[in-house]
Amino acid sequence: MSQPELFVLVAAVVFSIGVYGLLSRPQLVRRILALNLMGNGVFLLLVAFARRNPDTIDPVPQAMVLTGIVIAVSATGFALAIVRLLYRETGEAGLGENRAP
Amino acid sequence: MAELLGWVFDALLALALLLLAARVVFSPRLFESIVLFIVFGLLMAIAWARLAAPHLALAEAAIGAGITGALLLSTFRELVIGRTPSPEAPRVLVYRWHGLMALLAGGLFAVLGWALLSIDVPTGPVAGEQAMALLARTAVDDAVTAVLLDFRAYDTLLEMGVLLLAVLGARAALGSQGPASSDDLWTDGEGDTPMVGALVGMLSPLIIIMAGYLLWAGAYGPGGAFQAGAVLAALGVLLRLTGRIVPAPRAGVVQRGVLVIGMGVFTLAGLLTLATGRAFLQYPESLAYPMILLIEVALTLSIALPLVLLFSGSAGIAAGRSQHSP
Repeated sequence: MSQPELFVLVAAVVFSIGVYGLLSRPQLVRRILALNLMGNGVFLLLVAFARRNPDTIDPVPQAMVLTGIVIAVSATGFALAIVRLLYRETGEAGLGENRAP
Repeated sequence: MAELLGWVFDALLALALLLLAARVVFSPRLFESIVLFIVFGLLMAIAWARLAAPHLALAEAAIGAGITGALLLSTFRELVIGRTPSPEAPRVLVYRWHGLMALLAGGLFAVLGWALLSIDVPTGPVAGEQAMALLARTAVDDAVTAVLLDFRAYDTLLEMGVLLLAVLGARAALGSQGPASSDDLWTDGEGDTPMVGALVGMLSPLIIIMAGYLLWAGAYGPGGAFQAGAVLAALGVLLRLTGRIVPAPRAGVVQRGVLVIGMGVFTLAGLLTLATGRAFLQYPESLAYPMILLIEVALTLSIALPLVLLFSGSAGIAAGRSQHSP
C-alpha cells in the first residue's frame, strides 16, 4: 500500500469515527470535538489525494486546507461560545436526558 | 532502507492517529478527550510534513492543536467551575441508538474507503500544474502563498469574513458579561509566581520575532499570514493566562480597527484593481508584491486578535495589572 493510499484510508476512518461521535454523544463539547475529527479527516483526504501523483506537489488543495483550518477554528470558537452561553443560562452543556458537560 | 523506514514511520503514524481519534470519542472523561484531541492535532502536523505540506504542518501545530486546544480547555474550565461533587462522572454518556450509529459509521467507512481507493489518479492537467506554471508570473515564489493571495484571493477574503463573523457571533452570545471568572489563570491573584515573569519576559519578544519571520517567509517558503497570526494569537493567550491582559466588556476603537483591517485592506485592494479596469484582486504587476505584503500584514493582525478574543471570551481586552512582582 502506497503512502497516499494509507492516509486516504486513515482519513476515511477518522471521518467515520467523527460521524459516530457526533451522532452518539449528547454532550455538546464532545460533539464539537467529533466535528473537528470529521474536518481533519476531510483535510487529510484532500492532501493525500493530491499526493497520489508523486511527480508534482499540488499547492491548490494545500491552500484550501489552510483556509479550512482557519474556518474550523473560527467555527469551533463560535460553537464553544454558544455552549458557554447555554451553560450560563441553564447550568447544562448537553442535549437530551444526559446533560452533564 | 530509507524507503522501508519511511513506510514503517507512516504506518506507526497512521496507527497513532486512529487510536487517538478513537480515544477522543470513547474516553469517559471530557478532559482526557480534549487533551488527546490536542495530541491528535500535533500528530496531524507530522502527517502534513510527511505528505510534503509544510505550510499545513505549521498551521496545524499553531492553530489546529494550539489555539483550538486553548479554546477547548478554557471552555472546559468554565464548565467545571462550581461543580463540587466530582466535576465529571467517569462514564460515557451516549444516546440509546449508539450501537446502530456505530454500525452505520462502520458501513460509512467501508463505502468511503472502497469508493476513495477506486478513484483513478487524474491524467489530464490539474489545477495544481496550472498554478505551478503560472507561479513565475506572480510576485511571490511560494506556490501556496500565490494560491492563497493571488490565484484564489477571493476565497481568502471570504475566509476573513468567516473569522470576523465568528468573533461577532461569539461576542453576541457572550455579550458584555465577560468570562465567569476574570481571575488570573496562572497566578495566585497576589502577583506572579517566580517563574512567570521571566518566562513571559523571554518568550514575548521571541514570539513576536517568530511571527514576523513567518510573515516574511511566506513570500518564498512555508509561512504566511495565517501561521504568523496564529503565533501572535498564542502570545495573546500567554499574556491572558498570566494576567498581562484581562477581558474588557467592550473593545476600544483600536481593537475594532484591528478586527476589520484585514477585510478592509483586502476589499480596498480589490476595489482598486476593479477601478483600474482589471479583474477583482488581479494585481498590477509592478505593485503586486507590495500589495500582497500589505494585505498579509493586515491579515496577520486580523487573524491574531479574533483568536485572542475567542479565547478570552469577551468583547474586548485591556492591559492587565502592573507586571511587577510584589
